[in-house]
Amino acid sequence: MPPASVWLADTPSASAAIPRTVFDVGSLPPSVAASLWRGDQLGSPVATAHPSGFEALDAALPGGGWPGRSLSEILSPQSATLEWRLLGHALAQVCAAGRSVVVVGPPRVPHLPGLRQAGLNERQLIWVQAETPAERLWSAEQLVKANAGGALVVWLPQVRPEQVRRLQVLAAAHEGPVFVCRPHTAAQESSAAPLRVLARVGLDWTLLVDVVKRQGPPLATTLHLPSVPAGLQAILTPRMRQAPGALRLGDKPLPPPAPLRHTDPRQPTEAEHALVRTPAALPRRRVTAH
Amino acid sequence: MRWSALLLPCPDGASPPIEAARQALAVWALQFTPRVAVADEAVLMEVAGSLRLFGGQRALAERVRAQAEALGVCQLAWAPNSLAALALARAGTVNGLHAPLATLLDALPLHTLSAARPHAVTLAHLGCRTLGELRALPRGGVARRFGQPLLHALDQAHGLAPEVHEWVQLPEVFDARLELMSRVDSAPALLFGARRLLIQLCGWLAARHSGVTAFTLHWAFDAMRARAVGEGDASRLPGRPKNGCTPLGGQAQPGWGSHTVRTAQPMRDPEHLSRLLGEHLARVELAAPVGDLRLTADEVHRLQPTSHSLLPDTTHQGEALQRVLERLAARLGPERVLRPLLVPDHRLEWMCRWQAASLALPRQPAPAPEGPQPSFVLPQPLKLAMRGNRPLYQGELQLLAGPQRIEGGWWDRVDTTDAPEQQRTRHVVRDYWVALSEHAGVLWVFQTRLDEAPAWYLHGHFA
Repeated sequence: MPPASVWLADTPSASAAIPRTVFDVGSLPPSVAASLWRGDQLGSPVATAHPSGFEALDAALPGGGWPGRSLSEILSPQSATLEWRLLGHALAQVCAAGRSVVVVGPPRVPHLPGLRQAGLNERQLIWVQAETPAERLWSAEQLVKANAGGALVVWLPQVRPEQVRRLQVLAAAHEGPVFVCRPHTAAQESSAAPLRVLARVGLDWTLLVDVVKRQGPPLATTLHLPSVPAGLQAILTPRMRQAPGALRLGDKPLPPPAPLRHTDPRQPTEAEHALVRTPAALPRRRVTAH
Repeated sequence: MRWSALLLPCPDGASPPIEAARQALAVWALQFTPRVAVADEAVLMEVAGSLRLFGGQRALAERVRAQAEALGVCQLAWAPNSLAALALARAGTVNGLHAPLATLLDALPLHTLSAARPHAVTLAHLGCRTLGELRALPRGGVARRFGQPLLHALDQAHGLAPEVHEWVQLPEVFDARLELMSRVDSAPALLFGARRLLIQLCGWLAARHSGVTAFTLHWAFDAMRARAVGEGDASRLPGRPKNGCTPLGGQAQPGWGSHTVRTAQPMRDPEHLSRLLGEHLARVELAAPVGDLRLTADEVHRLQPTSHSLLPDTTHQGEALQRVLERLAARLGPERVLRPLLVPDHRLEWMCRWQAASLALPRQPAPAPEGPQPSFVLPQPLKLAMRGNRPLYQGELQLLAGPQRIEGGWWDRVDTTDAPEQQRTRHVVRDYWVALSEHAGVLWVFQTRLDEAPAWYLHGHFA
């Protein structure tokens, strides 16, 4: 009889002889328990984390915020709809620390007054107008390598996985966070970025955020982050915060938004000179330059 | 005393190297010490006083070695005095400080000492082939037969007699030339030659405690060229009128082309300058092969070097950002690396101006406009389609808040593009609303008033 089958024959009796013990973390010395990582915990990034300003999101991100020295992908169905709302707090913190924020190839013209309301400082903001994919990648690479700015936001609508991998390797030298904004179709592809976030705009002043990839177990639920654009916080009334819900009810006809010309019954419908109007009855703010 | 001898290669073994190359090396060496002298085919410098400034002997030696190689130095030697350093360099020994000088010198052949060269044949017939054997001869006999200068030079090399040097003076204006090894056809290939000139420039700047904000690379076209080429302004730079080629020194010099590179801050880092120049040269087209290069420093300013600090600080960060933005601007164009500037204007289009990042921002920022402002704007307002009296943008828009009435601007006259004599005003009469779209998020739309057909436009995103 070969020795292997003897071993196999003996195995059940041997395992039956040893009582099964449940592994208890509490029985370990505290120093060992602290350095032990378990599969259901979030991984902790080696570098600093920049709080995102949303408690629910911070709780879902390893380290409690956007990671520095690493790439974070922001995937959205439509560019230029939610970037500043999602990243504004982190970028404002970077600006407040006196570091600069460099944006590479944004899809629209950044508007300083609105960004100022989001907490960004014009002295710390730099816009690199890179158009072609090669220019965007080259500019981002130079900026990441130089480790010069506090944070980098780069829009890469067309990028290959190996190019993202290259950026991720280089980002290890960049102290601040590096955000890569990509279309949501990229969620199907693999990516070297350690953190990938799929974000959409919710109608009830929320951002719907799915953490597609993170260091740790996958996040099954969609996060609803309350977010009002920075410029609108002052003017939104509680009723307006409720009102957008009406849009979601598809079967119900939309409430007629009182057109400007019909709000005042004294006002004729055809266009007329502005001086004839009486805007006093309306909650209008008139901005006239003298 | 720490002497370094930098030996230049001789073209045909006997004749001394080109005077220009030696002078260029001497100017470069002046950044390390003011005590720089020129000997036969070498440049000698005394760096004992600069060791601390450059981080110790090892760091200084490494720095000298790295840059000297790029300048064409074939041998480098360190010794306690200049003649010993020169002799060691000729013999191919680098370090003359690790052993007693006498033992090192005694082993060297006679031709390493300049003063012994005329008598080398006679001495060889005497059976005297090394400096050690020469030193062992009776001094009186040597002095009578070969003259006092030989003995004096031998004493100087051993450090027994004082040395006298004529120090090299720093030129007031930097203007260096370089003849290329071969004709160069493409502009980026000029960089290899220009790099040597840039290292010289940085040495000159360091010696003057200055930095450069504008330097010009000139290139001379080969004699064999088309007749139309090189009439002052020979190379073309597409789409760059601002950084375009300037004629040499203001007057057109036939057969020369040039390109000026400007930096935002005084700079004397050869790596950064050569990368900048490389980006610029990538856009230059040469009309004919180039044989000679010339580099001039146009604008030189005092440069306060950053003092070394015990604690890490963030000033280096800002400087690094400045450099990388300069590099981006060199490739993309300065009009594409921008900083925002708030302009006191109530109309959305002219509220925020973007200017080149190298320009300074005003000390006092303009006050921000009141009321909500979008964070992304469209360069041109987008006319929206209508369904009934509702504007459409990826579904029907729901107007949330408004209107904010913006009007005025009749005083702002601009020339129209098609008819220059007619002016048009940028007068706007608009009611801005915050609108909500199911897919596109929160929008900033406006309705024109007083027009023939009032219409809705999309102007920004609250992103």
